[in-house]
Amino acid sequence: MKNGPLFFLGLFIALVLSWGVVMEANHQLGSLAPYLDENEGRAYPDRASGLAARGQFVYADLGCAACHTQQVRRPDFGSDQARGWGDRQSFARDYIHQTRVLLGESRVGPDLANLATRKPPYDAEDLLKLLYTGSAQHPAYKFLFHERATGTVQSSQNALKLGSGAVVPAGREIVPTERAQSLVAYLLSLNNSYAYPAETATNTVAPAKEGAHNAAAPAADAAGKSAPAHPAHSK
Amino acid sequence: MTTAPTHASQPPVEGSASAEVTAIDSTARGPLLLLVGAAVKWLVIGSVLALITSIQLFKPAFLADCSWFTHGRAEAMRETIFIYGWAANAGLAIALWVLARLGGSPLRAGNWIGAGAIFWNLGLLVGLIGIATGDATSISFLQLPRYVQPFMLFAYGAIAIAGVLAWTGRRHDQTFASHWYAVAALFLFPWIFSVAQVMLLWAPVRGTLQAVVAGWYVQGAWTLWLAPLALSGAYYLVPKITGRVIPSYVFWTSLSFWTLVFVGAWTGGRHLVGGPVPAWIPTFAIGSCSLLLFHYFMVLLNLRHAFRGGSVALNFIAFGLVAYVAGGAADAVTSLRFVAKVTQFTHFIEAQQQLALYGGVSMMFFGAIYFLVPRVAGRVWASGALVRGHFFLTAVGVLLLVAALAKAGLTQGHGLNTASVSFAQIAADTRTSLLIATAAQGILLLGNLIFAFNFFHTACSFSPSKSGVPVTDLLRQPSTMEAPAS
Amino acid sequence: MSSPLDNDPRLDQAAATDESLLAAHEKLLGRQPDEKANYSLMPLALLFVFSGLIFWAGTYLNRYAGSFDPTVFNENAHSKKGQVVAAPAADPMVVGAAAYTSACVACHLPTGVGQPGAIPPLAGSEWVTGSEERLVRIVLYGLKGPIKVKGADYNSAMPAFGKVAGSGYNWSDEKVAAVLTYIRQSFGNTAAPVTKEQVAAIHAKDGSHPEMTQEELLKLP
Repeated sequence: MKNGPLFFLGLFIALVLSWGVVMEANHQLGSLAPYLDENEGRAYPDRASGLAARGQFVYADLGCAACHTQQVRRPDFGSDQARGWGDRQSFARDYIHQTRVLLGESRVGPDLANLATRKPPYDAEDLLKLLYTGSAQHPAYKFLFHERATGTVQSSQNALKLGSGAVVPAGREIVPTERAQSLVAYLLSLNNSYAYPAETATNTVAPAKEGAHNAAAPAADAAGKSAPAHPAHSK
Repeated sequence: MTTAPTHASQPPVEGSASAEVTAIDSTARGPLLLLVGAAVKWLVIGSVLALITSIQLFKPAFLADCSWFTHGRAEAMRETIFIYGWAANAGLAIALWVLARLGGSPLRAGNWIGAGAIFWNLGLLVGLIGIATGDATSISFLQLPRYVQPFMLFAYGAIAIAGVLAWTGRRHDQTFASHWYAVAALFLFPWIFSVAQVMLLWAPVRGTLQAVVAGWYVQGAWTLWLAPLALSGAYYLVPKITGRVIPSYVFWTSLSFWTLVFVGAWTGGRHLVGGPVPAWIPTFAIGSCSLLLFHYFMVLLNLRHAFRGGSVALNFIAFGLVAYVAGGAADAVTSLRFVAKVTQFTHFIEAQQQLALYGGVSMMFFGAIYFLVPRVAGRVWASGALVRGHFFLTAVGVLLLVAALAKAGLTQGHGLNTASVSFAQIAADTRTSLLIATAAQGILLLGNLIFAFNFFHTACSFSPSKSGVPVTDLLRQPSTMEAPAS
Repeated sequence: MSSPLDNDPRLDQAAATDESLLAAHEKLLGRQPDEKANYSLMPLALLFVFSGLIFWAGTYLNRYAGSFDPTVFNENAHSKKGQVVAAPAADPMVVGAAAYTSACVACHLPTGVGQPGAIPPLAGSEWVTGSEERLVRIVLYGLKGPIKVKGADYNSAMPAFGKVAGSGYNWSDEKVAAVLTYIRQSFGNTAAPVTKEQVAAIHAKDGSHPEMTQEELLKLP
């Protein structure tokens, strides 16, 4: 290859072709709009509240995505739905309002895409306690909390109720910082369970006649239902 | 394994133009030793962080109270240091040296390289502190804070200028495989880096398109930047040390190069299989991954003379070659759906990445560094035992690390796929493998410490004749390579 | 002068010069394989491998790409053409109830009894359970002037709810049909649902129309 300019042209064409894949994806996904539900008069996906939106940045900068994913896979690909992580697979439309999409690439810990819909549901106190004390599989994030003396000042209403004084010395209390509270608000806002008609229509495996695909049949029911909080649609 | 070079009996070719160490090497000393020194330093720091994150996998409480080393941030720092600290500096040094040597004229713009190297590493340091204090972008392979990335792009440009000048100002008109790979790496990286910055950080695209762009960048950085940097060194050193032309060079080397460059960046979407992107994106990537097997196969065929051994560089390159090809094959296999069902999101993917990046590219970098430092610094390596020790420890460490992580990944994958298995159970089942992986990281750290000690002892001696004889006297005069008769 | 360092890990020896390396490889390239006798089996085998990989990749793409459709996330679903599940329809009772609660309760009250003298009741009203021609127009275009419902007189102004000029609501025909279905099956009423086709037909026939009056309505069938 003696011809220098031709070589650079070849390199550039290679780059452009690879970028063409991205551009085609952009063409398909770049202008995905929220879906307006006529029945309920509101659009999905939900936008996060202000505190939850700030919490997403806390999640990002602590690197939670190093161990947690936020994507539910389709029914016969892993046990995501059997584990209660979601009623349906995640679609692209679920993520359009997120400033930083944190799909994650590793599951050292469970998937978090629909944390708000878990049964039994988590509440803020549970999550704050987990963040403070950690567990055998989960690191503690004590730097997200203040430890304060309660002797002369009024006790904070946000103080964690950690049980007996084994964790917290007497006369002191643990108060979550604003970062901890926003992180927890973010985690409790994670709910991707709305059943968009277009995606549901093209992604439900209809019950087939062959026995081999019977495993997909329950998925068809699961995918057709919307989240429990919404009134049942006629089917 | 201990055969002397094959042309030793022929009389050396006359003339300083054919001397093994020339003005090219001595003028390049400052900038290249700066780059290699920075690379070695980052390698050691990165190995320490790798050890920390490995421990945190089975003992989450380790350093958890220090916000700088919480697992997510430590992991981001480790990855960043390996890519932008170790691999970038080492790869650039090797590519510049190869281009200068093959171009036949001294490295110009040496001051630009020096300034670029200083600013690149300074930017990296600022970026790492940013990650530690909470400015990480949370994008894999692109964790550096937003404010530092354009700065690093310009620093890279300053270094790449020297490479471009070495290419355009070459005295020998012929081009060779090493040229193509080195120039491709220098030319393509700024494009993908800047596009990724814009589309992910400055004007972020919407929704899961971010994941698609991030995947494209990661694969671009791997196949269009790091792998070519390593291959440019390997393609130069194997024929040079063995004295034989590259087999199957005509047409196939070129096809292999263009396959890598064209198909490489198409493989970005394969980790999104089953995820919230249209099915064609991961499918296209998986198909491309299979197509890329041709490139790996061809590189193995081309560079098979590396297995003749007899030289430190060839030992490292041979190991690196096998690991590079094995990593590529593992990538193609794990991208297929029926395998990804088990391995996605597990330590197995980490194992494959370590095999390709550490076992493959880094080992090829080590080989090239062991070859070029004596010629550039004018002194032989301070200790031969440490060189052999480094090879042994790194080879053992890489094999152990990859095997342990692969085993842990498969256990984790099977556990994840069974809904009744709790995460506590998975952690208990993978604990032994993760302990072994941590031990492997310890071995790798020891090997890198040896390497760093050897390097700084060699390069930083203030007395020019500390090790006695200048390197030019110890070098055998190389002879002429013959193209085989048809 | 020392002798060259051989087989020493501290220094690797090179066997060829850079110039000869370049020259040798260039010579290889210059020698074009147009001598027929020199084709060996190896290059053909490599071409075969390369083509095989392209074929495999293409087949894989064909099977799993879901026809490059942006809404296909599950490639197994799409491959079973013709058995796609339809999207669930909006329930008129739900939509109608929501619309009634947001727009109608202020005047007609949640129980549909209205306000004496001003707002007519919906519960048991002959206008509601009777002719669709009249009922649809009331909601689409509004009502002004006196109206007699269940023997009592009422007089107020009802705004236009349909997509007509001057409407502050601009409800779609589907929403109007839903509200009417709702009131026809609530407050003790039982009458047939109103379809959006009926509303659309009436809307198309009359177009934009000012508020209806009782006289105009009574002229309709």
